[in-house]
Amino acid sequence: MSTRFSTLLILLLMPAAAVAHFGVTLPSTDIIMAGDNRTLNVQVKFIHPTEGHYMEMEQPRRFGVLVRGQSHDLLPTLSATKGRGAEQQQDFHFWSADYTIQRPGDHTFFVEPAPYWEAAEDLFIVHYTKVCVHALGLEQGWNEPVGLETEIIPLTRPYGLWSGNLFSGKVLLNGKPAPHASVEVEYLNERAVNGTIHPPSAPYVTQVVTADGNGIFHYALPKAGWWGFSALSEADWTLKHDGVEKAVEIGAVYWVQARDID
Amino acid sequence: MKYLLCTVLLCVLSSGTALAHKVNIFAWVAAGTVYCETYFPDGRPVKGGQIIVLDAEDNELLTGRTDDEGLFNFKINTRSDLTIIIDASMGHRNSIILKKGDLQP
Repeated sequence: MSTRFSTLLILLLMPAAAVAHFGVTLPSTDIIMAGDNRTLNVQVKFIHPTEGHYMEMEQPRRFGVLVRGQSHDLLPTLSATKGRGAEQQQDFHFWSADYTIQRPGDHTFFVEPAPYWEAAEDLFIVHYTKVCVHALGLEQGWNEPVGLETEIIPLTRPYGLWSGNLFSGKVLLNGKPAPHASVEVEYLNERAVNGTIHPPSAPYVTQVVTADGNGIFHYALPKAGWWGFSALSEADWTLKHDGVEKAVEIGAVYWVQARDID
Repeated sequence: MKYLLCTVLLCVLSSGTALAHKVNIFAWVAAGTVYCETYFPDGRPVKGGQIIVLDAEDNELLTGRTDDEGLFNFKINTRSDLTIIIDASMGHRNSIILKKGDLQP
């Protein structure tokens, strides 16, 4: 049996609950230096990163960028587009925007999606998702909070990372550290470097680390490419589905890119 | 052994200097004035750094010094591409090019 086929089999046999949903906010580059093109593209998706499965994504509630302490609304720049994973039979909506860097500094792009109804888990999912793009040598701003209901604050500078580096972050819930938060980690196979990964069994698809009493977690990035971190909590509010109040899973998601040393 | 030690020492010395003291310059145009902003990676301004402005033929148009916030500005009276150099002494130098087209506010 080929590796590819056995991987597929493992993915198919896994119960739905084991497949982790991730909000994705993915820039075309995470570092812009003098002389580089200052316009980048940012894609906003809701997917299973390792399997590459897309889910239908409504227009986000908020999309913006925090730069030099100021938050800018970018929602009007988002446009709908379609895509699918290699094994999917139909297209799903995701969102995309171009953004031109105006000033030096770290740019934290953030997304608050519309709540996603997940029938299999009988709850709504809202993943607040962030990514940082560094611009023009001014390494300031990457560790500033946006002020989202829940978010990850990087403790490791989130760009210029080598594969093998330890990435550390702090999980905030309503602006305060979330003690012992569970953080899921996945590799973005559709942007894989030097070949996609083929998890030999379900536990390899989604890595899990637990934060300490101060909400601080660590993970060593084992391969070049984009890695997503998702800290999940239950919201202290509910939403109605078919007239019945349902729980809302809120996620603090952060994406970083690692490169191989050469 | 001696060679190895020298190499290590060189790496330690050079990386520390290059990274911690790398100077940067950014410039933009508004209403006929070029605004320059100079900074180290951690956000500290380059105070009193020398600014040199060259035209497309490398003729020196003007020089000046950044203020305590690392800022310097000047009026444009040319239609040439501009090279703006920040020289923070001790070889800490960087530059930015403003294209002719960028000079239209």
